[in-house]
Amino acid sequence: MTSMDRNERPAFRRRFGLHFGLIVVCAIVLLPPLWVLRTSFVPEQLSYSNELMPAFTTDNYSALLSSRFGQSYLNSLIVALGSVLLALPFAATTGYAFARFRTGGRWARFAVLATQMLPPVALVLPTFTLFRSLELSNSLTGLIIVYAALNLPFLTWILMGFFEGIPVDLEWAAMTDGATAWGAFWRIVLPVSMPGIAAAGVLGFILAWNEFLFALVLSGPKTATIPVALAALQTSNGVQIAKVSAGVVLAILPLVVASRFIQRFIVQGLTFGSVK
Amino acid sequence: MASIELDRVSKLYGNGNYGVHEVDLTIPDGEFVIFLGPSGCGKSTTLRMIAGLESISSGDLRIGGKSVANVAPRDRNVAVVFQSYALYPHMSVRQNMAFGLKMRGTDAAVIDAKIADAANLLGLQNLLGRKPAALSGGQRQRVALGRAIVREPAAFLLDEPLSNLDAQLRAEMRLELVKLHRRLGRTIVHVTHDQVEAMTMGDRICIMRDGRLIQAGRPLEVYADPVNTFVARFLATPPMNLIPATLQAAPGEGLSVLTDSGAVLAVPARHRNAYGERAGRRVILGVRAEDFHESPDKPDWQKIAVRVVAVEALGAENVLIGQIAGHATGRDDAHPAGGDKPLEIAARLSRYFTAPVGSMVELYIDPLPMHLFDPETELVIARPSLMGATR
Repeated sequence: MTSMDRNERPAFRRRFGLHFGLIVVCAIVLLPPLWVLRTSFVPEQLSYSNELMPAFTTDNYSALLSSRFGQSYLNSLIVALGSVLLALPFAATTGYAFARFRTGGRWARFAVLATQMLPPVALVLPTFTLFRSLELSNSLTGLIIVYAALNLPFLTWILMGFFEGIPVDLEWAAMTDGATAWGAFWRIVLPVSMPGIAAAGVLGFILAWNEFLFALVLSGPKTATIPVALAALQTSNGVQIAKVSAGVVLAILPLVVASRFIQRFIVQGLTFGSVK
Repeated sequence: MASIELDRVSKLYGNGNYGVHEVDLTIPDGEFVIFLGPSGCGKSTTLRMIAGLESISSGDLRIGGKSVANVAPRDRNVAVVFQSYALYPHMSVRQNMAFGLKMRGTDAAVIDAKIADAANLLGLQNLLGRKPAALSGGQRQRVALGRAIVREPAAFLLDEPLSNLDAQLRAEMRLELVKLHRRLGRTIVHVTHDQVEAMTMGDRICIMRDGRLIQAGRPLEVYADPVNTFVARFLATPPMNLIPATLQAAPGEGLSVLTDSGAVLAVPARHRNAYGERAGRRVILGVRAEDFHESPDKPDWQKIAVRVVAVEALGAENVLIGQIAGHATGRDDAHPAGGDKPLEIAARLSRYFTAPVGSMVELYIDPLPMHLFDPETELVIARPSLMGATR
């Protein structure tokens, strides 16, 4: 046995052990979604079959999309996008104020998180009462406002972090160049922090897209969002697991796309080239 | 007219510390002034107060004779070049340079003409379409300068603009800045911690420490006549050697400095009047590295024995680091009152000087340029300046 063999053996064992461990972990993570994907293409009556792919059909998808689920999909898109577009301008200005000025002192930064610290169920009933008197329950507008409000603290904090990472020299340069403080924010800070704003927007979109409790309480049959519509597939005749699976696959599609965007934006350097 | 007057200007922070303390300075129109000092001495803060980027806690600041304490940065007509260059990363070089003019509503044709002029001056013609990320450090630095130049401000405020460049480029840019100053004739305030920049670029050096302006004067004046041990050490590489000693009366009317090692230096006759009343008191003897010599070229140069610790060969010269025999403790910036460190001196000798480490060598001190400092206040004991004097 050469000395090389002796050296390689433990290395091989280590590598084998590492890869085996990784395969097990991947299986634990990936099997449930893969099983959902599989079930979404299997006829309802065969969905609990032990076979890997007893039959292939796209009926679950076509049935879902021709039902109210299609409407819910659109509702979710409107609500998630609308709430992000409503929340971002407030979050950007608030985050910038916290990042650059002594606005409200240190405690104000934490105070904006107050709503995030309460269990959502404690907020949902007062919101419902309020929205009913404002005639905003059972409307997409109501949901947009609620999600914007719920996401605002979180988006503010994300953007505050981004703004704090932008060298203040850039704003100083703009201000000596003739810009006002607002002008420096609008013309320099905002364009430079676009990746951060996009990332925050995508995260806000995901949160709104997945939200269930407020949607359940505040929406009606025509304004249901995807999580509510998915829950509705649990009927008195039992859970239509194949349709639920198809619904889940459809529901996570935008999130897969969104997470790709997030990666790109977060990985992208924020201010490369501006300094040093 | 863009004279800049700082009238007891202070910056007081919330924690009660002064960033800048009662700085009094008048910078005449067209002067190239260097603010020099170690990190945290308040020089950049002072610059930012001139630019209006930091508020003034007390005192007054006048640009062109008008108080600007409450004037926004954009209305002060000064341009700042930052250490980080602070180029707008989402804009091309052309857009970066045009930004300030656009903000002031300048006509597009005028903007184009000014950018073309500045690009010509700085050699940026081929880079105008590029984004800052696609530029080298030196190019970014020039774009930052160009952005300042196109605006034709009353004064340029440069915050360590050369510190991110490599040594060769820095030397080139030093010269470029000096030429630029001659050409534009505008007031320039240049902040640096590099004493070579300070000595070579400015009309005047202002040395700061702990938020205070310690000394202001022409570079060679400050070098020749430092007001205290801090300036003496800061404005040279290697710094001035500070040797604990006692001033004593010598036979006749003479005075001599007795170092703690027992070496005796006769005080030149020219300094006797100034130092006479200090006879018998402790002093710190200050000798610049270049005032040590390998051989006694003049009869009044005085011998001192030094143990060689290291010889740094710099090419054009050799710097000897040595210990003065008999000195147990030395003074330096870290041990202002003398510490456990053996007293080390640095001597700037010819490039032909060699000596084995650990050996004893004899050096000769030229006593004429020496300084004596008060060991308690660290202030120089005044003597007539040698500036312009002949030996």
